[in-house]
Amino acid sequence: MKHLFTPFEKLTKNTRLLIVLFWIISVVVIWFVSSMGERHLFPSPQQVFTGFKELYNEGLVVHIGSSLLLCFKAIIIAVVISLILTYLSTIPVVKPITTAISKLRYLPLTGITFYLAIIISDARTMQVWVLVVFMSTYLTTSLLGMVAAISQEEFDHARSLKCNRWEVLWEVVVKGRIDHVIEVIRQNLAIVWMMLVTVESILVAAGGLGFLIKNSDKFMNHGRIIALQIVILGVGLFIDFVLDYLRKTFFRYSKI
Amino acid sequence: MNYTIENTLLYVEDLSVAYGPKMVIKDVNFVEKDVLREGKVTGQVIAVVGRSGRGKSTLFRALTGLVKPTSGKVLIANTATGLDNDAKEVKEGDIGFVNQKYTLFRNKTVYQALMFALRNNQETKEQKHEQIMQYLKDWGLESVKDQYPNELSGGQRQRTAIIEQIFCSGHYMVLDEPFSGLDVGNIEAVKNAFDLITASHEFNTIIYSTHDIELAVELADSIYVIGYPTIDGKLQDYGTIVKHVDMKELELAWKDFGLDHIEVVKQIKAAMMAS
Repeated sequence: MKHLFTPFEKLTKNTRLLIVLFWIISVVVIWFVSSMGERHLFPSPQQVFTGFKELYNEGLVVHIGSSLLLCFKAIIIAVVISLILTYLSTIPVVKPITTAISKLRYLPLTGITFYLAIIISDARTMQVWVLVVFMSTYLTTSLLGMVAAISQEEFDHARSLKCNRWEVLWEVVVKGRIDHVIEVIRQNLAIVWMMLVTVESILVAAGGLGFLIKNSDKFMNHGRIIALQIVILGVGLFIDFVLDYLRKTFFRYSKI
Repeated sequence: MNYTIENTLLYVEDLSVAYGPKMVIKDVNFVEKDVLREGKVTGQVIAVVGRSGRGKSTLFRALTGLVKPTSGKVLIANTATGLDNDAKEVKEGDIGFVNQKYTLFRNKTVYQALMFALRNNQETKEQKHEQIMQYLKDWGLESVKDQYPNELSGGQRQRTAIIEQIFCSGHYMVLDEPFSGLDVGNIEAVKNAFDLITASHEFNTIIYSTHDIELAVELADSIYVIGYPTIDGKLQDYGTIVKHVDMKELELAWKDFGLDHIEVVKQIKAAMMAS
């Protein structure tokens, strides 16, 4: 028993599983107990389950689909923009532009939405571009870090094999780091997913999980709010799992 | 042990490299010529030894054209013209370079990496395939041809890196500490690799660095000690060649390691300690 509390102790798979089960059961028990009285902060499991049922009947699946579609649209555009900027950042004259875009991640959401609203009239397009602008800054920051982490030896190796500078860029940075790009997307996904729900709740267009949260919030329906939080967390973790699985399956050499 | 000296293969004149205000190597001069032995194809094996931080790696980066010299020049034989002593300034890719970490493309299998190294070769795809398979067999890499670098042992990575450079570069190859961290078996494998390379063409020239002075004396026919020179009684803080041992002149090259070799080891160690 003592070894369970010893730092850096190696445990068997079964023991690790038992520890996880212990914590899950503990959380569920605490939840039940803390929501039993008349006055409680969190809704009871029964209220959350009712919230789930209501949401499902109101088209939860369609809303999840809408959020996912928005997420994929924004991710694809942002990844393309960030990758182009990152790859071009190896050219000295472009480097300051890419660095500046990376720094823009400190800009507040409100200011950007104001200017985007002047240019874009359609709410759905607006949602996409708000996300694209913000995601691009975060993705570019991470991708610049990825390029900076490539060792000089890798560039020298390509050069010693008679690669010209463009071939070095293609072989070492572009082809040689595709798996890292997937990992960067995965790591930034939590921010994107969190922002997506916020953007959907601010700019109401085609429904989505953010829209549902806003509605539930308005009517102080705690059961629905927690049910939605669980759905959002579940979908986010599922996308995270899929990306990690894709990287490990398609890039055998990838040991990040 | 009869041998003759022919065309100049490597000519380094007043080579200096500085990183910003820091002069790393200065006034490096040396010449290596083609060594001919009757009845035997003999490439050149040149060892560079010296204490850590004396500029061996910088010298190698300059020799391979990976860093531009601050001053001076590195010339290699232009074997493409067929003219005697025709020289050209070294460019990146002219001289193969295997670094200490045996870096390979992380996303290419051994076979893919070797095919890439042959990309500029005029042979057909089938001929390239046969060449690769022959090398993989000769170098004991057949069973790992479809594996990625992170699935290879240190020795396998090193052999792959050496074959890549044989395929891609001309007659010159620089190896930065090829014996570092290898076990006895892998050291023997690298020695065999040296034999394979030098026995395949007269012009083939291997330049390597090592901290194992016995190995340098055993394998090389020319040894350079790089260290800080003493000028007017004051130890300088840049690297240069402080001693050259021509094992051919001493009649110790291409011989089994013996008592005379031990004497050379002592001399080299003394030169290193003084620089």
